[in-house]
Amino acid sequence: MSDHDYPHEPTGVETRKLGMWIFLSTEILFFGTLITTYLIFKGRTFDGIKLEEVYDIPFTSVSSFVLLMSSLTMVLAHNAIEKSDQERANIWLLATASLGAVFLAGQIYEFTEFYHKGFTLTVNIYGSTFYVLTGFHGAHVFIGVVLLVILWGVGKRQEGLSLDGGMNLEFIALYWHFVDIVWIVLFTVVYLI
Amino acid sequence: MDSTIYSSVFDLGMSESHKPHPTPKKYVQIAILLGVLTAIEVALYYTESIVGIFTDPLLMVLAVTKFVIVVGWFMHLKFENKLINRFFTGGMILALFLFSIVMMERASANLF
Repeated sequence: MSDHDYPHEPTGVETRKLGMWIFLSTEILFFGTLITTYLIFKGRTFDGIKLEEVYDIPFTSVSSFVLLMSSLTMVLAHNAIEKSDQERANIWLLATASLGAVFLAGQIYEFTEFYHKGFTLTVNIYGSTFYVLTGFHGAHVFIGVVLLVILWGVGKRQEGLSLDGGMNLEFIALYWHFVDIVWIVLFTVVYLI
Repeated sequence: MDSTIYSSVFDLGMSESHKPHPTPKKYVQIAILLGVLTAIEVALYYTESIVGIFTDPLLMVLAVTKFVIVVGWFMHLKFENKLINRFFTGGMILALFLFSIVMMERASANLF
């Protein structure tokens, strides 16, 4: 039997895994709403400094690359645990959490720079939609980093990681990749277009 | 209800054979491709004066390509059960539907 088949479940899919995917579907709607709100105000004229005058594309590009590579380390951790290689899985988990922390540090630095240049949360409604959108994404990354560190801590214990336990690496990997795909969209919509 | 009957009634793809997940080498190749696509995106941003009106559509195509690659290979959706695919696609369609309605309203100046 493949690890994807669950004949004892009426749907043929592990219920917790299905629940995780349904949760991610609701998250798509959540971010879809925020992106739509942001785009309503993008390109309109408001008082105050514009985002285009303060952002730093090379810096954000490097941040985007860091988050993309964290998806690679995450999937390598998942691959290692599928092969019951606890040690390697723990290394990749720590690498993923570290890359996520680097991305977060970059976002904090970027927000601080914007603030000092006058592009604040209350500069105008466009500024508000920008900070709400990217801030909620940052909050998701922060939650992901916390979950990864907890998972790494579980992996250091004697019983180690598994794909069956409550603190399941696969579900956290799904969450982490989701955070990455949201940023793929945000990087294009907010910074490049 | 018996799970086999349930599955056949709702065509949940329970009996479909799943492909094995990619190897670490394949994952690294995919990550390199994602990095290259990101580099092309940034290059397009800086060459907007040359590429002209095609810049934004090309950027959208690149973003969608990266999105599909991560969802398909890193999130293993390509290898998953049909039911999971339907839930995820359903969320995407609803979000795009909402986006389209709001943008049409914005274009017709009925909003704000």
